[in-house]
Amino acid sequence: MKKIFLCVCFLTWATLAMAQVRLTAKTDKTDLALDDELTLTVQVSGISGTMVMPQLPSLPAFNVFSRETAQSITNGHTTLSFRYIMIPRMVGRTTIGPVTFKYGGKVYQTEPINIRIYRSAVPASAQTQRQPAKTAGTQQAAQADASAQMPPLERELAAQAYNHREPYFLVSAVSNKTPYVGQSFTLAVRFYYADGFYEAAYSNPTVSNLFMEDNGRSQGRQTLHGTVYNYEEKRYTLSGAGAGPASVGEASVTYRVESLGNSLFDRFFGGAVVSKPVTVTSQPISLSVRALPPGQPASFYGAVGSGFTMTAQLDKSETEAGDAVTLAVMVKGPGNLKTTSDLVFPSFLGFTSYPSVPQSGVLQNDSTRSYKLFQTVLVPQASGTYTLEGISWSYFDPTAKVYKTLTARPLSLKVLPSANPERKLDFGSQTPLGNGIETLQQDIRYLKTDTDTSLSLLARLPEWKWLHALVFMWLAVCLFMACIGKKTAAKKHAYQHAKTQLKKAKTYEHISDALSGYIRNKWNISTASLPLKDIVTALQKRGVSADSLRTFATLWKELESVRFAPVAPTDTALSAFVTRAAQLLKTWEKHV
Amino acid sequence: MKKLILSLLFAAVCMCGQAWASTAEELYQNGQYAQALSAYEQQLKDYPNNPFLYYNIGNCYFKMGSRGLAIANYYRAFELNPRDADIRHNLELALSGSGESLVPPGMPQALHRSFFVLSVTELKGLLWACAWLFCLLAGVWLLTRKAGKLTVVAGVLLLLVAGWFYIRHSWQSEPLAVVASPKAELRSGPGTNFPASATVTQGHLVQVTDQKGTWQQVVLRGEGLKGWMEASALEHI
Repeated sequence: MKKIFLCVCFLTWATLAMAQVRLTAKTDKTDLALDDELTLTVQVSGISGTMVMPQLPSLPAFNVFSRETAQSITNGHTTLSFRYIMIPRMVGRTTIGPVTFKYGGKVYQTEPINIRIYRSAVPASAQTQRQPAKTAGTQQAAQADASAQMPPLERELAAQAYNHREPYFLVSAVSNKTPYVGQSFTLAVRFYYADGFYEAAYSNPTVSNLFMEDNGRSQGRQTLHGTVYNYEEKRYTLSGAGAGPASVGEASVTYRVESLGNSLFDRFFGGAVVSKPVTVTSQPISLSVRALPPGQPASFYGAVGSGFTMTAQLDKSETEAGDAVTLAVMVKGPGNLKTTSDLVFPSFLGFTSYPSVPQSGVLQNDSTRSYKLFQTVLVPQASGTYTLEGISWSYFDPTAKVYKTLTARPLSLKVLPSANPERKLDFGSQTPLGNGIETLQQDIRYLKTDTDTSLSLLARLPEWKWLHALVFMWLAVCLFMACIGKKTAAKKHAYQHAKTQLKKAKTYEHISDALSGYIRNKWNISTASLPLKDIVTALQKRGVSADSLRTFATLWKELESVRFAPVAPTDTALSAFVTRAAQLLKTWEKHV
Repeated sequence: MKKLILSLLFAAVCMCGQAWASTAEELYQNGQYAQALSAYEQQLKDYPNNPFLYYNIGNCYFKMGSRGLAIANYYRAFELNPRDADIRHNLELALSGSGESLVPPGMPQALHRSFFVLSVTELKGLLWACAWLFCLLAGVWLLTRKAGKLTVVAGVLLLLVAGWFYIRHSWQSEPLAVVASPKAELRSGPGTNFPASATVTQGHLVQVTDQKGTWQQVVLRGEGLKGWMEASALEHI
């Protein structure tokens, strides 16, 4: 059991160790002259044990004249570095095939590298000035043909170099003097030397309205005016910061050379005398940065150039609800993509998104191109089959002078119901519908195909304004009628009301009240606060006959006197008063 | 004869209506959401208070990925027809994608459904109906002194419906907007010279409290954040 465990541990370790093996191959330049030299660096990392040599491909276009090997060991892992210096043999385009490396029964390969070799030459214009007229014929044509094959930057450097005859000088050139904002281009600074030197100190050029980034260095050789010069070249990637003028300042090299002393003593002992420091500088360069044209798409993040590519992929095609998947979008292209803005991921319905900080860098095989990797972690909320829409990314193509948009293909993701019931994220598992029905995902409901809606009765009611008016009129009429009718009804029913009161009368006061109520209801005369004389006058004014008034006055006085008498009324006396009052009311009702 | 001509005209109008609807539906089915959207928007000019047109427009925006505009149109449909289950479903689904919810936190679902069982127009109709009933009963009582209790009940009902209408009306007249752009910046003042304090993704509901030029002062209801947003980033409901 123990042995099995150890074997498993060893196999796991071996697998992990092999999985980390990394093989890279890169050159110091991809364009070079026929009399130049090329350095190919192959690096193997993550191996352990004995040194194994990588196998170079067939190189018919080069002579390999130097090999160097370096080895370093960190934490038990070895990193091997192989450096091959090669001289081109022919003009044209060639490819350094994949470098192969066998390790642990597995074969590793690098990507092929495309190289362009051009004829060593100087511009025809420079050559013409220096060639005698009679020899200019065929040589000029050959040189013009050679310079036409050279990249513009190389041609510019070569032309500048041809103007120098001193043993040490510095030249610089840019690949584009009118770049767009954000467009990357190359600045090359070359220090030519025909003799040896030491203690050379190099100072970077200063730039304005430009972003500058180091892009490596290389060495080369060039023949000028019959003298073989070596040169050290330093390259930078520049990009325009804003529209307007820009400049690249002077670069400088301060060096010392050896020289023999003039005295006999010095010559005899062969002693060397060090010269004073000498500084050579390059010429400043003026540029004009152009603004980008209007009409930028929403998915434009500032990338300028041509030949961009984009890929989008998920780290898995199937997951569980609540488990994270990573969506990675890789953009590759010329220049430095680090300076472009970050891609804004669209919001994916049904997913919680957690974008991470983008990564960027230079491509291993081509230092003039870079990549930018955008990643976001997506957590599906529910089970189902999802299609993530294609992500778009736009750039400005300065050659075609148009904005172009790259759109990644839509990605499909199958999300299974969560096996963890405590996750509480899967809609399906949260609401089991029973009867074998499983909810997979939520989506909006379909269109309303019958869009013809008729308003409900309640919704139409506010529009019936005539009905509102009618109802309010009804209320007003009722109110009016109630006010008017109250008085009329009282008048109408005065006699009846008084008769009823008289029938129920038990005291003289009741009889008096019945009379007062009749007078009040019938003629609207309040008897409570008036003396008898005034009551009679008021009744007279309303057309009551004198006879009945006399009868009323007599009855009223008698009632007043018996009302406050100390003796209780007898039934006979009360009845007599009731009869007299009833008779009076009857007379009034009949004649008035 | 006259009736026949009128019938034919009516049939022709109905067929035209069905033709554009089926064309829009076909475009939607084929994934041509932008074209379907323009067809529905064209119809909306003729029927500005049709909740189902707003619903279909919301569906088109949703499928096009403009969740903010989809929510705005679902809301309009919901205000016109709050009882429709499809409208409520789509609105709740779209809002949930932005972390918002139709039912305010703490309010029971049943209470919210009851409160929004009628649209504002229907509620206004109910208010009128109650007013009529009260007036009729009050008139009867004034004339006959009968049906007094019924009149009191009608008066109480009228007051309750009036209160309900007042709350709904004031709720609806609150200047509400939804963030329509994919990511809007919330600034401390009305201009880009003021620093952005937060970014708000589309679909969030905001309350508009003030306006200065092309900038509007908004309050994020859930988070309590207050700041200024560009008016172009908002869609008023």
